[in-house]
Amino acid sequence: MAFRADYLLRETGQNLFRNPSLSIATILTVAVSLSLMGASLLVQQGIGRINNVFKDGVDFIVWLDVGVEDEQIESTNDFLQKSPYVQSTRYVDQEETFEEFQSYFSDEPEILELVEPGQLPTSFVVTPQDADVESIRAIADEIKILAGVDDVEFASDNIKAISTFSRGSSQIMLFAALLSAVAAAMLMYNSIRTAVFARRREIEVMRLVGATKWFIRIPFMLEGLLQGLIGAFLSIFSVFGLNKAFDNFFGSLDSFVFQDFALPGTQILLIGGSLMGVGAALGAIGAGVAVTRYLDA
Amino acid sequence: MIKLEGVSKEYPGQNVAALSDADADIAKGEFVFLVGPSGSGKSTFLRLLNKQEEPDTGRIFVAGKDIGQMSSWKVPMLRRNIGSIFQDFKLLPTKTVAENVAFALEVIGRPRGVIRTQVPAICELVGLGDKMTKYPDQLSGGEQQRVSIARAFVNRPLILLADEPTGNLDPQTSIGIMRLLDRINKTGTTVVMASHDRGIVDTMRKRVIELSEGVIVRDQDRGVYE
Repeated sequence: MAFRADYLLRETGQNLFRNPSLSIATILTVAVSLSLMGASLLVQQGIGRINNVFKDGVDFIVWLDVGVEDEQIESTNDFLQKSPYVQSTRYVDQEETFEEFQSYFSDEPEILELVEPGQLPTSFVVTPQDADVESIRAIADEIKILAGVDDVEFASDNIKAISTFSRGSSQIMLFAALLSAVAAAMLMYNSIRTAVFARRREIEVMRLVGATKWFIRIPFMLEGLLQGLIGAFLSIFSVFGLNKAFDNFFGSLDSFVFQDFALPGTQILLIGGSLMGVGAALGAIGAGVAVTRYLDA
Repeated sequence: MIKLEGVSKEYPGQNVAALSDADADIAKGEFVFLVGPSGSGKSTFLRLLNKQEEPDTGRIFVAGKDIGQMSSWKVPMLRRNIGSIFQDFKLLPTKTVAENVAFALEVIGRPRGVIRTQVPAICELVGLGDKMTKYPDQLSGGEQQRVSIARAFVNRPLILLADEPTGNLDPQTSIGIMRLLDRINKTGTTVVMASHDRGIVDTMRKRVIELSEGVIVRDQDRGVYE
């Protein structure tokens, strides 16, 4: 039996516009749910990318005491040079630190006035040889106890903290996404049920004149599918926007670790594709259950 | 064309059977009245024929096929061979006359070309050739029933089931509807019509099957109401 495209378009369109507020509510719920899901995916993949960057080698900073003696600087440098885990070191003197300090507090001149180069600590920026977390931790512990060393700022501490936070928040987002997906499916179910109710006269006539089960079903299934797809399409915009925000924010941090947190366009497309898939599935499931319950009874 | 063998049907919560041990044999091209008071089982009789209801016991044959054995996906095909009209017309108020008739062809997947030629022809046949663009609420009761007959007949079904088609119409209008049904019957379509309109049954002098509390109490050729 042939379906005619104009018949399907007309019937599906009529269903969608018969109860616009319910259709819109359904579409928006799908959009919210999938936006959360997309954001969660975005953060998870961002963390993955940070960890990749970290594996490529990352500096850590050895802060020396203020007023450290020259020979202590020498011995620390010796220690670092001899360590098999260290690839290179660079000494940052007080002048350079002061410049960084000035640029960092450029909009707070009152703080700048209080500080002179002589009050600032100097440091070594160290690039490790083999950047696995364990070996970096091991040398960091050794360096910390050297005379004249104040502290070792360990890049992975920050990364870990942020990773943990991001992972936690992405899991919460995923949970919220699942909850709202359930809400979306239930709204979908009600939306289709309402459409079936609104069209009960037509359906009665269709049955009487011998329309097949699928002929009656398909416009309702399409309606659900369309609502799911439109919602998914909207959610892609918010995912895209969020990624843009990540890009701006982490770009402005000027941190080479986080600069890659935002995803490139191709991966956004991939996420968008999976959101469309999930949207279609939500629509088909919600509509399918409603249709089975109220059409074939 | 239609054969009932020991058919019984009871609705839950009712102490009288809607139909009990009914036997009937209706040949192709016959015109049969089902008469009897409200609740005597006329509508159930009709609803069993196109599988809107299932019998509790007994067998029903339509066009030689045991419809009790019929798989559910074939039911639409059965219904394409059985037109139905009702006391309340069951027209779609948002569609014009032509669209109401076309709808019946559309939903069984008939090509557009067929619809374009069949719809005006059938509207002409039922005498509504000049009212095809009107909506049901712009028509009289008799005209609305003609639309529903057009819709039921546009597929050229083997059988036409009519459940009190003149129940809402005045006597004069009813005569017009009966003439139309008679013409349809003359084309070879078997017509089974439930009615408690004494005047019509007595005038037509067709076969009469009388039901009382679900039991067939009379089956008479060229019969009258009682």
